[in-house]
Amino acid sequence: MKNRVFAFGKRLLGLILSLLVLSAAVFYLSRLAPGDPLVSYYGDRAEKMSAAEREWAEKKLGLDAPVSVQYLRWLERAVHGDFGISYQYKRDVLEVIGERAGNTLLLGGAGFFLIFGGALLLGVLCVWWEGRLPDRLLCRVGTVTSCVPEFWLSLLLIFIFAVRLRLLPSSGAYSTGGSAGAGDRLRHLLLPLAAVTLGHLWYYAYLVRNRLLEEVRAEYVLLAKSKGLGKRAILFRHCLRNLLPAYLSILAISAPHILGGTYIIETVFSYPGLGTLVYESARYQDYHLLMILSLLSGALVILCNTVGQLINGRIDPRIRDPEAAAGEGARR
Amino acid sequence: MNEDRFVRVGIRPEKEEPVLPGRAGRRKEFPFLSAGILSFIFLGCLLFPLFIQTDPAYLDLAHANAAPSRAFPFGTDALGRDLFAMIWHGGRISLWIGFAAAAVSTGIALVWGSASGLAPAWADALLMRLTDILLSIPSLILVLFLQALLGEPSALSLSLVIGLTGWADMAKVIRTEARQIRGSGYVTASRCMGGGFFHILWRHLTPNFISSILFMVVMSIRSAMAAEATLSFMGLGLPLETVSWGGMLALSERAFMTASWWVLWIPGGFLTATLLCVTQLGNYLRGRLNQKQSNL
Repeated sequence: MKNRVFAFGKRLLGLILSLLVLSAAVFYLSRLAPGDPLVSYYGDRAEKMSAAEREWAEKKLGLDAPVSVQYLRWLERAVHGDFGISYQYKRDVLEVIGERAGNTLLLGGAGFFLIFGGALLLGVLCVWWEGRLPDRLLCRVGTVTSCVPEFWLSLLLIFIFAVRLRLLPSSGAYSTGGSAGAGDRLRHLLLPLAAVTLGHLWYYAYLVRNRLLEEVRAEYVLLAKSKGLGKRAILFRHCLRNLLPAYLSILAISAPHILGGTYIIETVFSYPGLGTLVYESARYQDYHLLMILSLLSGALVILCNTVGQLINGRIDPRIRDPEAAAGEGARR
Repeated sequence: MNEDRFVRVGIRPEKEEPVLPGRAGRRKEFPFLSAGILSFIFLGCLLFPLFIQTDPAYLDLAHANAAPSRAFPFGTDALGRDLFAMIWHGGRISLWIGFAAAAVSTGIALVWGSASGLAPAWADALLMRLTDILLSIPSLILVLFLQALLGEPSALSLSLVIGLTGWADMAKVIRTEARQIRGSGYVTASRCMGGGFFHILWRHLTPNFISSILFMVVMSIRSAMAAEATLSFMGLGLPLETVSWGGMLALSERAFMTASWWVLWIPGGFLTATLLCVTQLGNYLRGRLNQKQSNL
């Protein structure tokens, strides 16, 4: 028990340290990038300001101090849960993000389930018909789709389904002015969701296929077969079950990757999610918004990696941190 | 006893290398088709600009949005630029950036990954933590910052930027390989005889993971080209005057209005075809197919 608490504390400390380094790095990087944050706050007026007005405005936004002082001030407030206001929206950044996060989570979450469900299905199909027509066809088509750049795929989808066939809306998350019913949401979600899913699907399906192909070459399959088990029982009850834990940890690690992949697609579809927000805030020096977004995505990456490691550690204790293992041994 | 009453399972043919139906079991064939298409695109980008008289940046507004015809084999875009000339000129830039960026990230990944793999545990943990942090910074911010640092965006600076942001994954793989090899006797022996870090890296580690590295290098050419196209498409890459495949697609919004399919399909098609061929070559380099017979 004590060891558990110790290991947990160590992980937590590592998480906090990483976030600190990340926040400092992003803070400095964003301020070194060119552009005028005052334009982001005051719009076009900023360009006509006199020197005195500029000075006053910079003081008001706290941009006059040296960067290190600014960072410490930001950190002090952030620890108290105050992440500042967005220059562009002139509201608390958490509010701005709160409005958009739902959209991204919907897109990313639905994409996540489709990708991993679909990848498992395709992988199993390939193995079932290994080397025969369905497998070869899937491999061919899959390789081609995995090479299509996401933004071009999105453009093609818009061109075909929105411009040519006029079936689906080309941008946004709901119709302006109209009632924002579930059907309307779904219609707006379909194209970006298709782009997210198709962009990643084959990568994971191929992974499942290859792992499963190794699995069916194991000796225990021979034993199961000689016991008289059928192909389906062996594949689903034994091989797939052996594969699932590793698949789960891959799933955990790639969650932020998939969520990050939605960013470009969101921009192409003008989908009001976090991706468009990241793009805007980085481009137009909306410092506080940029900070919280980077911290959130950083935290997500580290968290998902930890979850992946924990799952791996559960499956195979040898993978666990060797130091911790040695320490545990010593204490025992 | 009737032998037919028993189903015999798992019987292997007597021969060492069983002849399996279809393609399974044979060595991967060299992807001639991909290599052919790739070399055609390569040579086209190399040679065609020498013969084409049209300036890819020339705005022929009288012929804006012309569909593919004899005068304009690939049509023209909304600004009246000739797509045929743009494809071959732009391809030069796109390919160049792909290779240059891959070279940069491979170099960094090789040094960083092997350093981490050979270092004592604490330094290894530190280096890997740093890569994790780098991976968790939204790459958009990194790209914007690096471009600001390098000044006016050009093909060279953009490939540096893409190279500098794209090495972390490869470094992780190299580190894992290096850690596996590091325990082996010959590395210890080399150390005992006073072999330095770079000596071990070059003489012992590189030859051992060259095949997996080669695959990753080819894949990083692919991802660098895709990254350049994405950045230029979003207006964050090359300036608009510099023609590249991704930049050509930046005008696609206007193509939607006029429904001019060629502006959308042709540059994207060239880009995707190149990426696909590179992938096929990479897969070939990865080595043999699974040769063992399935037990299922």
